[in-house]
Amino acid sequence: MSTKKFEVRLNINGELEKIAVSANETLREVLRERLELTGTKAACDDGSCGACTVLINGRPARSCLTLAVEAEGEKITTIEGLAQDNQLHPVQQAFVDHHAIQCGFCSPGMILTGLAAIREQQAELSRNEIREAISGNQCRCTGYAKIVDAIQAASKMKSEE
Amino acid sequence: MKDYKILGKSVARIDTPLKATGDALFTADIKLPRMLVGKVLHSPHAHAIIKNIDISKAEKLPGVRAVVTREDSFDVRWGVFKYTQDHQLIAVDKVRFVGEEVAAVAAEDEETAIKALDLIEVEYEILPAVFEADEAMADGAPLIHEDHPNNVNIHVNIDVGDVEKGFADSDYVREDRFSSSGETYGMLEPYTVIADYKAAGALEIFVPTASPHTKAKALSNLLKIPLNKVIVRRSNVGGALGGRSDIFPLDFITATLSRKAKRPVKASYTREESMTCTRQVHDMIVDVKTGVSKTGEILAQDIKVIMGGGGYSSTGPIAASVPFLVWEETYRLPNVRLNSYRVYTNKPIRGMYRCHGRAFLGGLGMQLDMIAHELGIDPVAIRLKNALQAGEFQATGSKIFGCGLSEAIKNAAEKSKWAKKRGKMAPGKGIGMGANGMMCGFPMGIRGGSSAIIKFNEDGYPTILTGVVDNGQGNYHAMVQICAEVLGLNIPDIHLVAADTEVTTLDMGAYSQAAVFVGGNAVKNAAEDARQQIFEIAAKILDCNADELAIEEGKIFRKNDKNSAIGLHKVIRKGLIDNTPVIGRGSYMPEVSRTREWVSNPKGQQAGTFSFGANVVEVDVDMDTGEVSVTKATGFHDCGFPINLKAVEGQYEGSIASGGLGSSLMEEHLWKNGRMLNPDFLEYKMPLAVDMPEISANVVITDDPKGPFGAKEAGLFGSMNSFQAIGNAVFDATGVWVKEFPITPDKVLKALAEKEKTVK
Repeated sequence: MSTKKFEVRLNINGELEKIAVSANETLREVLRERLELTGTKAACDDGSCGACTVLINGRPARSCLTLAVEAEGEKITTIEGLAQDNQLHPVQQAFVDHHAIQCGFCSPGMILTGLAAIREQQAELSRNEIREAISGNQCRCTGYAKIVDAIQAASKMKSEE
Repeated sequence: MKDYKILGKSVARIDTPLKATGDALFTADIKLPRMLVGKVLHSPHAHAIIKNIDISKAEKLPGVRAVVTREDSFDVRWGVFKYTQDHQLIAVDKVRFVGEEVAAVAAEDEETAIKALDLIEVEYEILPAVFEADEAMADGAPLIHEDHPNNVNIHVNIDVGDVEKGFADSDYVREDRFSSSGETYGMLEPYTVIADYKAAGALEIFVPTASPHTKAKALSNLLKIPLNKVIVRRSNVGGALGGRSDIFPLDFITATLSRKAKRPVKASYTREESMTCTRQVHDMIVDVKTGVSKTGEILAQDIKVIMGGGGYSSTGPIAASVPFLVWEETYRLPNVRLNSYRVYTNKPIRGMYRCHGRAFLGGLGMQLDMIAHELGIDPVAIRLKNALQAGEFQATGSKIFGCGLSEAIKNAAEKSKWAKKRGKMAPGKGIGMGANGMMCGFPMGIRGGSSAIIKFNEDGYPTILTGVVDNGQGNYHAMVQICAEVLGLNIPDIHLVAADTEVTTLDMGAYSQAAVFVGGNAVKNAAEDARQQIFEIAAKILDCNADELAIEEGKIFRKNDKNSAIGLHKVIRKGLIDNTPVIGRGSYMPEVSRTREWVSNPKGQQAGTFSFGANVVEVDVDMDTGEVSVTKATGFHDCGFPINLKAVEGQYEGSIASGGLGSSLMEEHLWKNGRMLNPDFLEYKMPLAVDMPEISANVVITDDPKGPFGAKEAGLFGSMNSFQAIGNAVFDATGVWVKEFPITPDKVLKALAEKEKTVK
């Protein structure tokens, strides 16, 4: 592996981080290993499971398929960036209230993906629209039913704002 | 439903806020000071003698701190039972599957560890290999363990009644073969172990495990460390589905790396390694002959099962028995014979799965429908006719206590509008039913029980210590709910320490569907013991008898005078000063037969109680492509009493994904010469949100006489009977039976083509 390092500036959850990275270092590795933001999970390494999802400029992205150098200057939101002042974000709260979390391994990626869909919504999302939106995220525990319930409740709240 | 203050409500779980914020730590998230990276060298061969291992070059690589090989094995074999101890957890004399652990390295970083693996030279002498269970059983097949003729790892024989007479008395007899290929568990969390072997001789290990006390015992044996020095720490478990109960080579290897390097070591398996080298699901061939009366009463059954077990025994006797046990927990079987063979093959090791036995339970449940069809009986009616009732005994002698099976079947039929739909839907659309019982706990000797301790701080708030494990199903919350209900406290008042072998007492963990039933009973008994001590101390302050007192909202008062209330903290403090500190202690051992044994004596009470469920599934079959979609699922679950209703619903919903769509329609490993072709989530397809139907999850409340507050196992009915429900629905939709799982489009089209041929 090349030892050459590139200095990248990443805006992570509103904080500017300057980090020297290798060309082949993924955003997930930087988040988990360098910054110890371990809420972003590693599960498949090939983009098939969605557990490492973060938001880049508000859109869901696989941090395992994103090189850190590609994220230079981008606005990155990880699961740690949602709760404010010890208050869960409404989507996080909906996941808790609706029993959308069992083992919790897919939850960070699932919550961020749900949040992105809600932010882009024109009107309250239908159950099928939610299923489409989260179909890049695998969950082995819940059968997705209560995840759809939670996102639907958060979507309803947002549409009534 | 009984009205409790805390129980039976759908309340948000104590563990989920941390999981929502990303703060919940899973094993891979934990870092210890000076921690090294462990990597494993796997066998490239399915069956080979290891002639030599040369680690000299790897050891010299700068940054390498330890190398582990067979030289580091203490010649102790792991197996769940004494008679199944066949696995040293690192290859010694030979390798038995592609992926078997041969050597390992601990280094300062991952790159160095991987480089070091490349420098290890292993000399193999390749042996002939055998991959399919039926071929492995044939005479002359290569022997995988030399002391097991015909590669038979386990043979379970059960013979109840007079099977031949049962067939002779039958009005209708049929024989069918069902089969299924191997699957993956598919939990998202890759397997990771952190081991820290301390200078004082204690091993601290962080690992996603459903059974920490079992893991500690195995590591104690394998590493020759006293059991109280093996500290298995709970970290969050990123899904288990049955696949986190066993002992894995990575446990032993990481601990040994740490022992040799004298530093903590973290070893994380990749997705491919997790799918290949932890556990997989058995492939299975089931031949079943069933005789019935003309009214559909089962009079005799003769069942032969061959299961591909892979290179080692794992939970062999349990795996070879459970599908049958689930079947006998469901229906009256006056004359029944089982010959179940778990066979060694040169494939990776197979273990117990949440949806274990799809060819068996799917097959027998489909054959019941075939019989009903031949006799002109409704599938609901044939299930009700044979369904066990409370007070009855199962074939091998277990008594049924609370039983809502018939009610579940009737309710599921009614709610799904079965009578209007079955046989009456448009072509390509169909409806099918599955039903089953489920043991709450396996016969596991001293490991079958649980005990709990509840201690109090001087501010009056308690901490529960229990060996119960939560893999995500909500067991921790259930323990806290039970304790809160007994002690008249609120959920946030209670702290829980669980599944940490340094402080918790022996418990089987989240294994064998017994966490709420057994662990919950122990916590309930401990809370009642604490409450009694609290009343005895308070009686002195309030100048009355202990039995005149009640506790609510952290206050103790005379039942006839609420104004007499004193705070719990005052009682706790008086206990401390009087040298009678309140320490609640409770235990529970299910009433099971002490002489029952899986292979040598499968007779007698096998579990403390049983749960039940019925499941109706509707499908839409594309007659051009053969693709089956599930459009609706309606389940009724006799879980005794739902401690937390939404948690119970979530178990059924999850099982419609893994057992229903996954095991029934999509999932199978593909192989070439013992090498798995789809060890990743791109090629191994699991259900996604878009695949899922609307699900109606319901309960039947029976207030189980043995369960804590009437509760028992929750959730496995959907995963264990969806196969038959879907197979039966496919028949209703198409008129063809597909007897090989998963029911993929090619098999549906083939069956449709064959049917067309016969019609012509």
